[in-house]
Amino acid sequence: MNYRRRAGYLAYLFALPFLLLFTTFVILPLIYGLVLGFFRWDMLSPNPARFVALENFREAFADAYFWRALMATVRFVVLAVPLTIVLALSLAVGLNRVPRRRQAFYRAAYYLPTVITISVTGILWRWFYNSEFGLFNASLAPFGIKIPWITDPNWAMPSLVLMTLWWTVGGPMVALLAGLQNISPAYFEAAALDGATGWQSFRSITLPLLRPVLVFVLVLNVIGGFQVFGQVYMITRGGPELSTRTLVQYIYETAFNNYRMGYAAALSWLLFLVIGFFSVIQFRMMRER
Amino acid sequence: METEKRKIGIGEVLLLLGAVFFIAPVLLIGITAFKPDSEIVHFNGILPKQVTLGNFREILGNGEEIPIFRWFGNSVFNSTAISLLVVSVSSLAAYAFARLDLPGRKWLFPLIVGTLMVPGQVLLVPVYLILNRLGWLDTPLAIIVPAGGGAFGFFMLHQFFQGIPKDLEEAAELDGCSRWGIFRNVVLPLSRAPLATLAIFTFVGSWNDFLGPLVFLDSVDKYTLPVGVALFQTSYYAEYGLTLAAAVLCTLPVVLAFLIFQRNIIQSIALTGLKD
Repeated sequence: MNYRRRAGYLAYLFALPFLLLFTTFVILPLIYGLVLGFFRWDMLSPNPARFVALENFREAFADAYFWRALMATVRFVVLAVPLTIVLALSLAVGLNRVPRRRQAFYRAAYYLPTVITISVTGILWRWFYNSEFGLFNASLAPFGIKIPWITDPNWAMPSLVLMTLWWTVGGPMVALLAGLQNISPAYFEAAALDGATGWQSFRSITLPLLRPVLVFVLVLNVIGGFQVFGQVYMITRGGPELSTRTLVQYIYETAFNNYRMGYAAALSWLLFLVIGFFSVIQFRMMRER
Repeated sequence: METEKRKIGIGEVLLLLGAVFFIAPVLLIGITAFKPDSEIVHFNGILPKQVTLGNFREILGNGEEIPIFRWFGNSVFNSTAISLLVVSVSSLAAYAFARLDLPGRKWLFPLIVGTLMVPGQVLLVPVYLILNRLGWLDTPLAIIVPAGGGAFGFFMLHQFFQGIPKDLEEAAELDGCSRWGIFRNVVLPLSRAPLATLAIFTFVGSWNDFLGPLVFLDSVDKYTLPVGVALFQTSYYAEYGLTLAAAVLCTLPVVLAFLIFQRNIIQSIALTGLKD
């Protein structure tokens, strides 16, 4: 007993620095954020924070800008996630058939954009998308095509998605490739002996066995998609006509341009609820079948 | 078999084309940064007609307005400090949870790992206010210290430590090694690969972190490279050559680090993507 207690102290001594930081910068902010959501606290006004119960949440539901931001976010997720997953899966399947050495090259090539910081990515793609001298329109000019990539409200979001695809497809591709390589070749050999076509064995062997990784990648992508910020901030700042102002961009503006901390905290919690809702649905999907 | 290896099918041609599209933009930043502005604004071919170092000279020589060396130094300092902090703090805690039978571990562990699901933005406003209370805003502490509380490294190392055979530690214990001694002399040396992976991963992640430094830092001379470069883009809006040169300076170290360590980086993604 005495020994066990001493061992317990020792364990806490090891874990103490991490637990301290974890409590201060994860747990405390979580609770603080929840509490803050029930307060009106505008740092620019001289009034102190005051408790307003559900007022912030009521305001959010009546706030047309909140709904627009939510819709913009959903539009981003609906466009970006399926495209990312399909592209990542196609690349992973393709890479899996290439001999090792060249595979390492392709893997590095497709992963490369992921290591580039968003401000550089943003600068680069702003230049590509520039309607006057951008690389895209300059290349399309001989064909007489001129696309308002980020200056037209209908084009701006797809343009952000295209850039996101380039920037982020590497991660899911690597995870899916690792998943593919975990599937024993014996399955495919048996299927081939039974005369299965490539498509058939992809549908009835690859996809089911890849399901855990696929769901994992999907969940991560949906979560990441709802949190989209850097692209928006760097390329469109939410414009044109607020067509790309996503939830995080709206939260950022609310908190750090207007210093409405209570309302921003409440909006953050709504974002968290939306993300949690979709994560639960997806984990359900994983358990079924 | 040999001929099989050399055969390049139509699928691989597509892969190759795709790879070109993925690499080209990165190379393009590098190439275009050597063009004078007139050539960037009137696009006439990928290669510069006239190679100039002017963009780089102007950026590097203008330390007053564009303290890019300062930003670079800040980024190196912050990312190094964060990597050291994360690796030391998480490895100690992960060991306590995996091996030392920490009391309360049964409910504490899922709590910690559960926070991996919480999007960082939810914490942004409260962490900002806590840092404000601590008086750390606009100091490197605001960027470095909170990173130590992240659960990712803890979780990754925990999974790894669990896989180390217990016999080794028991043998060391019989030899009269203390728990600390076992950790230092047995467990850490065995974990060099995952520790290095975590360090690289953390370094690249924090080097590229944007939202944190953007919100927590205020003075231009405390900025990290990504935020500095973003600010730069805002104020030198029309000068694409300068902006692209800044982008090159910002990207070069990461791309080099990636090319050197790409195996570790990619493996760690595959690992964390598969472990449940």
